[in-house]
Amino acid sequence: MTKTVAMEKMLKKADLAAWMAKLEQTRLFAPALEDEDVWNYMPVADAKAVGLDHPNTIRPPKGFVFPQREVLYKFSQIPSEAPILTETLPDPEPTVVFGVRPCDSRGLVRQDIVFTKEYEDPYYHGRRAKVIYVGQACNTPPSANCFCSSVGGSPCAEDGLDVLMTELDGVYHVKAVTARGAELLAKGGDLFKEASDADKASVLKTHAAAKAHPQRPIKDLGKVAGALKKNFDSPAWDEMAKACIGCGICTFLCPTCHCFDINDEVTCSSPCSGERVRTWDTCQFPDFTMHTSGHNPRHDLGSRLRQRVCHKFLYFVENHDTQQCTGCGRCVSLCPVGIDIVSVVERLGQP
Amino acid sequence: MSQNAYLPKLGRIAAIKEEVPGGRAIKTFRIEFVNGDGFEHDCGQCAMISVFGKGESMISIASAPHIKDYKQFSIMRVGRVTTALHDLNVGDVVGIRGPYGNKFPVKDWKGKNLIFIGGGCGLAPIWPVIQTAVNDRGQFGKISVFYGGRSSRDIMYKNELDKLKGDAEVHLSIDNQEEGWDGYCGFVPANVMSKTPSPENAIAITCGPPIMIKFVIQNLKELGFTDENIYTTIENKMKCGIGKCGRCNVGKDYVCVNGPVYSWAALKDLPQEY
Repeated sequence: MTKTVAMEKMLKKADLAAWMAKLEQTRLFAPALEDEDVWNYMPVADAKAVGLDHPNTIRPPKGFVFPQREVLYKFSQIPSEAPILTETLPDPEPTVVFGVRPCDSRGLVRQDIVFTKEYEDPYYHGRRAKVIYVGQACNTPPSANCFCSSVGGSPCAEDGLDVLMTELDGVYHVKAVTARGAELLAKGGDLFKEASDADKASVLKTHAAAKAHPQRPIKDLGKVAGALKKNFDSPAWDEMAKACIGCGICTFLCPTCHCFDINDEVTCSSPCSGERVRTWDTCQFPDFTMHTSGHNPRHDLGSRLRQRVCHKFLYFVENHDTQQCTGCGRCVSLCPVGIDIVSVVERLGQP
Repeated sequence: MSQNAYLPKLGRIAAIKEEVPGGRAIKTFRIEFVNGDGFEHDCGQCAMISVFGKGESMISIASAPHIKDYKQFSIMRVGRVTTALHDLNVGDVVGIRGPYGNKFPVKDWKGKNLIFIGGGCGLAPIWPVIQTAVNDRGQFGKISVFYGGRSSRDIMYKNELDKLKGDAEVHLSIDNQEEGWDGYCGFVPANVMSKTPSPENAIAITCGPPIMIKFVIQNLKELGFTDENIYTTIENKMKCGIGKCGRCNVGKDYVCVNGPVYSWAALKDLPQEY
């Protein structure tokens, strides 16, 4: 989004809290345990408790810019008179989100494509301009379902981030990727030391080691779109979707999924007043596409699984020349019935 | 102009005409922009109409682009929003945003014979093209309009179709024979076959129920029409109108942006998800 800069600094791990303390008038979020084994982005109450040693969060950070429920405008109308519409464009406080994993920041880049290419969505833009993403490179071996490297990413990718932090021995290597990232570092003042050549060599070595960890492979990524097109009418879609219960978790927790619904929430029936609201929606629900007549172009589980996979690995590629999947693995890990997008791509997305 | 695409302009209902009564009621709404703050459109484009408190529906604009004072929408009462619309009165104010979608390439059709084939409320999306052709009558060849409803009560635009007769051949049909009906009896695709329109220098434009479109296209192919000379307009459920909410896609296309108008040459290669 912003001009690329490259500024590399070092921060002692023990000084992270001191840096956060200097970021006044800013809401801070970082991954924290919400429940047993459940990591999510939480407001930073005690900076000293932020360890940045989290596995990935259950929810991706997309909600900071594309919240689950967004009021588009308020309306109120006396019958036969013109309604009063009040635009409710968001103007959130400046926010810094720490600990964003590279798969999720690449997810934000996909959201940027949807919400800013061709038409700049004012709600998305209003929030995106106020949120700074501080990423955390993944040094430790990936989880069983990670496949960022198989979809063009890496455990230390910078796309979508303002700052990338990499943990070394007792220190963080902190790289400002954008101008606003550089400003964030500047606020830390003396806490940051210039990265020496040895530090830079060390971080490169750490990144190389992270990239060397084996992940779930996708063969011939460039040929997946063509193969999916060829297999559009395959009976395997139905077969693979048989277990699906249509809960939509795979899309709600996806860092790239952007589909939404728009509805009126009425607070008073006379005179009629309420809010027009945009909420996350999912291609996995039958009424997502059901016409008023009852006709449904995607009437069964197989066609809805096909839509999810083809949107990510075929249509998005045709429209934007990149996959709309960043390999975070949430849809695989959190699916209650074990539907696995990598297996689907292996089966129907290979020439 | 507001940069916020979600925020509708306001339109006052200037007239309501009951086209079809009963269970599949169709009304035509004439809507004037409040304070003249509106937009222009092309043939085939749609608009999102809001009944505040009920929601929005994507409706094709049934009036021709050269009519600037108002926009017309012929709407069947089917769901929550369309039912609420049918309950409104002249003078009531609705939200209206758009225009959305691509357009019929009418300018490329000058000098050609135009064959319109509509069924049910599928006459509305192609009506602006008919009106444009009639308004600029000298620029086009022979104009034929095939249109059918389930029964004579389901025929919309009765007076307007009558008025076309000097400028166009009109072939009406109903599914089953009724007393006093002097038009064709049977389905629309069959009516087309019975008149064997020539594909020579002709464009066929069709809209109606999916099953009708399917057989119309089959018959047009049999008559010798090429895929490039057959046009249709499709619909899918829509919420945003700007290609973001993700539900109206047919393959890589969003119907609200890349559609609703397709030549059969373009549509036949897309998945059948409409």
